[in-house]
Amino acid sequence: MSINRLAIRTELSTSPRYTENPSPGYPLRKTWRPATEVIRIELLGSLSHRDVALRAVSAACKLVTARPFGPVWNDFQMEVVSAFGEAFNNVVQHGYRGNSEGLIQIDVRISSGRIDIDLSDWGLPFDPKTVPVPDLDRLPENGLGLYIMQSFMDMSYRPGQPNVLTLSKTLRTGREEPEIGRKTEGEE
Amino acid sequence: MTFEISTSEDGMIRLAIRGELDAVSVSDLRPELDGLVNRRPRLVQVDLSRLRMVDSSGVGALVSLYKRVRAQGGAVRVIGLQDQPLAIFRLLRLDRVMTDGDGVPPVPVQSGSSQN
Repeated sequence: MSINRLAIRTELSTSPRYTENPSPGYPLRKTWRPATEVIRIELLGSLSHRDVALRAVSAACKLVTARPFGPVWNDFQMEVVSAFGEAFNNVVQHGYRGNSEGLIQIDVRISSGRIDIDLSDWGLPFDPKTVPVPDLDRLPENGLGLYIMQSFMDMSYRPGQPNVLTLSKTLRTGREEPEIGRKTEGEE
Repeated sequence: MTFEISTSEDGMIRLAIRGELDAVSVSDLRPELDGLVNRRPRLVQVDLSRLRMVDSSGVGALVSLYKRVRAQGGAVRVIGLQDQPLAIFRLLRLDRVMTDGDGVPPVPVQSGSSQN
């Protein structure tokens, strides 16, 4: 099988949300946004496509809030991208074992203050429960990817064809990061 | 990812890594690290102040460097950690063993190299 493609598709759900002005002092802006957006990316299970995938996920993090800046959001984005990068590495290096003709499908679901990423592959499955927790005191050089993933995001895994690894994270809200305005239909 | 290796008159080797050290780029760095270890350095200063991102593969290469230099009686000091690399080092508790003391220098200290 020879696949040589990169496809990005965005799907919109039906119920809208309103994004209010991003910060005090900005002109009032109300932008219609769907409650959940799904961005689908299909690319090769090859490290050469890793950067494309990471940049897409990094950019998607900006869509979870009307205020994509500040220390809380910076940490959110950094942790999502770090965890996702490890997941991508795992599929390429272990799922497909370097066979770069395998396909990776990434579904990024964006909703208010939350990101869920489904990473599907058709390679070898793995059992996260059998992966030992690294003994950090021994300064391990390998086996850190799953630990980074699970430290930074909630993770679930369903083996099959495809195998689906799901990474989820909710943006922590604090004083400097008030929840974005969200209204249901009919309020406006 | 780009890197630069220089040696000061007192024998310290300075390794500066910039950009992204990850599963893609680490293969470019590993042979250089092997060569660096073979020089049996007394001290290796790893300047990560311009490293934008690191993953487990990149961390693995740096830990390997640390262990091998230490096994030869040398030392490795990481400086300039910030942002994502700092978060990864903290998560993996590497900041305690590979940086000086409790604090992480926000900017690289001057190496005092005078070869230029």
